Amino acid sequence: MEPLLAALIGALKLSGKLLLIIVPLVTVFELLRYLPVFRRAGRAIDPLMRPLGLTREAAVPLFTGIFLGIAYGAGIIIRVAQEKNLPRRQLFLMGLFLATCHAVVEDTLIFVVIGGNGWVMLGMRLLIACGLTALLAWWWRRSPQV
Amino acid sequence: MDAVPPVSWRLRTGLTSGLQTSWKLIKYVIPLYVAVDLLKGTPVIELLGRWFAPMMALFGLPGEAALAFVAAFLLNLYAALAIMAPLDLTPWQITQCGLMMGIAHNLLVEGAVLGSTGTRGGLLTLSRLAIAAGAGLILHLLHRLGGG
Repeated sequence: MEPLLAALIGALKLSGKLLLIIVPLVTVFELLRYLPVFRRAGRAIDPLMRPLGLTREAAVPLFTGIFLGIAYGAGIIIRVAQEKNLPRRQLFLMGLFLATCHAVVEDTLIFVVIGGNGWVMLGMRLLIACGLTALLAWWWRRSPQV
Repeated sequence: MDAVPPVSWRLRTGLTSGLQTSWKLIKYVIPLYVAVDLLKGTPVIELLGRWFAPMMALFGLPGEAALAFVAAFLLNLYAALAIMAPLDLTPWQITQCGLMMGIAHNLLVEGAVLGSTGTRGGLLTLSRLAIAAGAGLILHLLHRLGGG
């Protein structure tokens, strides 16, 4: 009976820790994300999208996916893709980026709670996503068929 | 960009989504943490660990971590986290798991979602597994070069 009790206490402790860390951080993120600084940051990122083979139309679905995740972002991604008539290649580039790098706030946060290094996880994912997407975009630019 | 919603609305949205995330986690944490913590002392985990040890060693991880990877690939990160927590991993090992699982998780559902946007979901899912493995090898190498 004692091991079961110890396991239960461990599980409850972890649950409490998750609540204490996640709720305030997500709330702060939600409060801050409308600040003008972030909008300007969004515009500043615009020129960075070109090397990734993506145009302005892809920005909204891309950022939705990065911050909210593919499942939440899917609605917006599908709608924008149809409305703006994004070409197939651009859709695949966006998919490749998002497959590697989405819901980064929440995903990183939960591993930080149990002791992981958030900057390493976040930095590596962003680098890899940008690198691979840019590589494929560059490759496709060289072979413009299909 | 749409109009900025009022602070009270943002506060409420933040609190609700924070609680939702926590609840999603806790739902997995309680049963899985208890199960793994209880199994830890038994031959079951030891055997599984030994079975996967050679593969996981490539990424600088103990064999038992394979269990968390299966949960991450098929279910989600919450289940993986619940399994990892009782395993006594080092902070670096947690970072490594977070990186690899962050790239490749919930493959069945998200593969379908990616596919539904009109791109090739299956190909992207395979790429994710390959990218996760690549990222893990790179981080392990960097860690070893750093003297860890």
